[in-house]
Amino acid sequence: MDINSIQAQIEGDLAGVVSVQALEEVRIKYLGRKGLISELTSSIPGLAVEQRGTFGQQVNTLKNKLLELFEEKEKTLKTKSSVLKKSNLDIGMPGIVQELGHIHPITQVIDEICTVFNRMGFSVVQGPEVETEYNNFTGLNIPLEHPSRDAFDTFYLKDYSKLLLRSHTSPVQVRVMKTQKPPLAMVVPGRVYRPDAVDASHLFMFHQIEGFLVDENIRFSDLKGILELFAKNVFGRDIRMRFRPHFFPFTEPSVEVDISCIICKGRGCSVCGRKGWLEILGAGMIHPNVFKQVGYASDIYTGFAFGMGVERIAMLKYGINDIRLFFENDLRFLRQF
Amino acid sequence: MGFIGGCNGVKVTYSWLKKFVDIKISPQELAEKLTMSGLEVVFLEKRGENFVLEIEITSNRPDWLSVLGIAREVSAITGSKLKTINFQEPKIKRKNLRPLKISVANKQDCSFYSARIISDVRVSPSPEWLKDRLETLGCRSVNNIVDITNYCLFELGQPLHAFDLDKLSQKEIRVRRAKVDEKIITIDGQTRLLGPEILVIADTHKPVAIAGIMGGQETEVTFKTRNILLESAVFNPALVRLAKQRLGLQSESAYRFERGVDSEAVRNASLAAQELILKLASGTPSGFRSLGVSKVTHPVINLDVAYLNKLLGTAIPVFKVKQILNRLGFHLKTKTRNILVVKVPGFRQDLKLPVDLVEEVARIYGYAQISQTLPAVKPGRKVLDKRDVIGNIKNILWGLGLDEAITYSLVDRDLLNKSGINTDAGLIEILNPLSKEQEVLRPALYPSLIRALAYNLDQQQERVSIFEIANVFSGRLNAVAEDSLLGIALCGDSTFFTKQGLVREEITLLHLKGILETLFNRLGVGGFDFIRQEDNKINIIINQKQVGFMLDLAGQTLGAFDIKNRQVVLAQVNLEQLSGSINLEKKFLNIPKYPAITRNISFAINEDIPVEGLLTAVEAKGAPLLAQAKIVDYYQGKQIPVGFKGLTLSCIYRVDDRTLTEGEIAPLHQDICSLLEERFGVKLR
Repeated sequence: MDINSIQAQIEGDLAGVVSVQALEEVRIKYLGRKGLISELTSSIPGLAVEQRGTFGQQVNTLKNKLLELFEEKEKTLKTKSSVLKKSNLDIGMPGIVQELGHIHPITQVIDEICTVFNRMGFSVVQGPEVETEYNNFTGLNIPLEHPSRDAFDTFYLKDYSKLLLRSHTSPVQVRVMKTQKPPLAMVVPGRVYRPDAVDASHLFMFHQIEGFLVDENIRFSDLKGILELFAKNVFGRDIRMRFRPHFFPFTEPSVEVDISCIICKGRGCSVCGRKGWLEILGAGMIHPNVFKQVGYASDIYTGFAFGMGVERIAMLKYGINDIRLFFENDLRFLRQF
Repeated sequence: MGFIGGCNGVKVTYSWLKKFVDIKISPQELAEKLTMSGLEVVFLEKRGENFVLEIEITSNRPDWLSVLGIAREVSAITGSKLKTINFQEPKIKRKNLRPLKISVANKQDCSFYSARIISDVRVSPSPEWLKDRLETLGCRSVNNIVDITNYCLFELGQPLHAFDLDKLSQKEIRVRRAKVDEKIITIDGQTRLLGPEILVIADTHKPVAIAGIMGGQETEVTFKTRNILLESAVFNPALVRLAKQRLGLQSESAYRFERGVDSEAVRNASLAAQELILKLASGTPSGFRSLGVSKVTHPVINLDVAYLNKLLGTAIPVFKVKQILNRLGFHLKTKTRNILVVKVPGFRQDLKLPVDLVEEVARIYGYAQISQTLPAVKPGRKVLDKRDVIGNIKNILWGLGLDEAITYSLVDRDLLNKSGINTDAGLIEILNPLSKEQEVLRPALYPSLIRALAYNLDQQQERVSIFEIANVFSGRLNAVAEDSLLGIALCGDSTFFTKQGLVREEITLLHLKGILETLFNRLGVGGFDFIRQEDNKINIIINQKQVGFMLDLAGQTLGAFDIKNRQVVLAQVNLEQLSGSINLEKKFLNIPKYPAITRNISFAINEDIPVEGLLTAVEAKGAPLLAQAKIVDYYQGKQIPVGFKGLTLSCIYRVDDRTLTEGEIAPLHQDICSLLEERFGVKLR
């Protein structure tokens, strides 16, 4: 019998099979230890030498083909049976899945905030963590006698004079404005460093997001509008906001922004210190002296800048009570986000 | 400080404020109004019949560091008139005292110094009302003289100091820098080592006070004191702060001097104190000497109301602007209809530019009164897409089941040593760390990841797979280079839930390789390769350049981190170097029109023979009909002889212009089998 007709015969047999048991019988008949294939294989040595190669290959091909056919048939039968028979699947068993990982809550908050500003037309930029004294202080109108210039508030590098670890993300303002002309609309997320004693609400490293908008005719009322849009997007439509005068050397007028406490809705609780308000960011109109430092004409351009602490916002959003949890990297913490 | 930073506070009481201004609103309303005009009341507390307000004062407003200063603000907010008291110089009754000698070595250090002598005082405990006022503000009562100086400090903002005149050698005052190694015992009983950067008040022999910060114990006013010298002066703010930091010494006096006191109020404060002393401790005014200038320039600023409204986005009428500035105590002249010439009081040295006056007006007008508008944001140029790439990488890794960690950029040498990094040279050190954990900027990412991983194993985690993307730091000449790195650390079992049971397998370098391959493929990085450098270290190569490595942690390192009976694999990839090879552009390739024929070959092969060469040889042999050759199964164990590995090679034959027939591929497949047997010595199964 030639190989092709054998295959045809087997295919015929298979077509008639309706149960898994019957399929097993057919399988043994052809592929079993004493089945047809094994018989064909053992007949090879009896053939003429020149025939052996071709015939051997044909048998091998047939065998592979049969394996495929049987597998396919078995699948068909099993699928059918599960449709016909009452299912014995226990849906209470654990689902089978490749687990996803988790993005750090700080990254999630940064992404959320940057996305809100992205949609308003701001681009995201970054700057180095090791900064010059000029960019971190002088360029931002922080005078020599300002307390934040002191080594007590900023990490300085040994052997690299005038280099320090940025104590805020504001130096990126100076970097961008020194190299680009308005209009500018940017947000800057990143790590910042301050030699603060570590406790539940202070760390020597944390994250900030800085933002700034510079163009002709930018007004304080625009700052209020943009920040309101931001806060409502991040903290919810029904929060109330409060703009308090404040002081920052690099903005004038300056403002601190509070939102109604998201925990107690403004009634007063331990999170907001019974005040009903939560301070979430500092902002203001960019100081003419900063424009002077970067060579912008302050009679043409105006702009605003704002900055916020990411950890604080994440703590409020998720109800986290100890800042150290963010960098301990305990999986029982990370896997909650 | 950035936009986030602490401020120091000042305490005042509701009733004390009323001495200077009529207040018709409740303490609660007052607190609200102060907060909304820039003096944040952080604490309002009822004490008996009185209310204490704790107010956060920003560093630009030293003039708010007194009851009078706050009262001035209350007057501006409420419109009630400020009641100030100006004292007159009394007649000096000269007694038989030596004339007082004062000298100031450098006018830059002390622009004004005044000394008043009051003789025959009766030092005694303070009356209750005085004790009460001080104690309400958290200031301990000492005796009537010291208490009066403190009272004036809190009320008027001018720090004063009283010396026991008879303890001053030669009754002389010298304001000078301290000499090298000079010492003083301050009133808190501490011995302070001084130096030439510290300004002191001295007599002819020795320092008797650290200027503007704290007096000396030897000359302090005690119950035995008969005659006093009352100092009221202006010291250089920068010097006071420097000395304060050098000595680690804080005081109410230093707090005010380092921010700047109102020079023009120095004399009045001294007179106010004298009047109280005469009243509570009797005594006789017996002399007054002063040196230097107490007058300061009063800045004159032109304010254009049109500019003000343009910057704020408001339409505040000129009369309203004038009213606000008047209430703040500024003198106005109208130049043109819109331009005001504003003369600022001496205590507002913080005001220099028109924009400073804009803030003053906005503050009192009320930020809440300013409407909200939206600017036309012009679409920015795409400046940097590095962040997008990083976001992409994070998403891929997250999808592959990894958890993102964030670890500190500052580390201790010990951590680096434990990870096998040489810490003898080349590290960037922090000049002023608060602890050992902040010694150096990290030169690599993986040590922190090993620590985080070990921590989690300690918390009984079965499997830890974490990654971090962060900067590392290295010194290059006089600059510091920052490189963004990706670090991955894996440990534990990879498990699969199947009907045959739970399959559990320890994570190895191949799992890590799989993650990196998926990542590179998804980022469109071509031409990557993994090349073994050492037994446990594999270099990651992209386009012939090393961009990172994979590491199977050696037992020694595991031991250093107390990781027992576990295998830890990690990778570190330099994203700066990777970014050039990233190509996120997609290009469509036609879906094959003709079916493929797949043939699997199972065989055992000597485990020392690398698979890569085998695949290359098979592909070369199979071209052009063989579209792909890949390993689809891997087995070691029963049925496979020791020293061998069992593999299944899948050969996929396909061409683009026709359906291949069995006949076409059969000889080729046979050739491939022969190649495997002859060249690689495999045993077909």
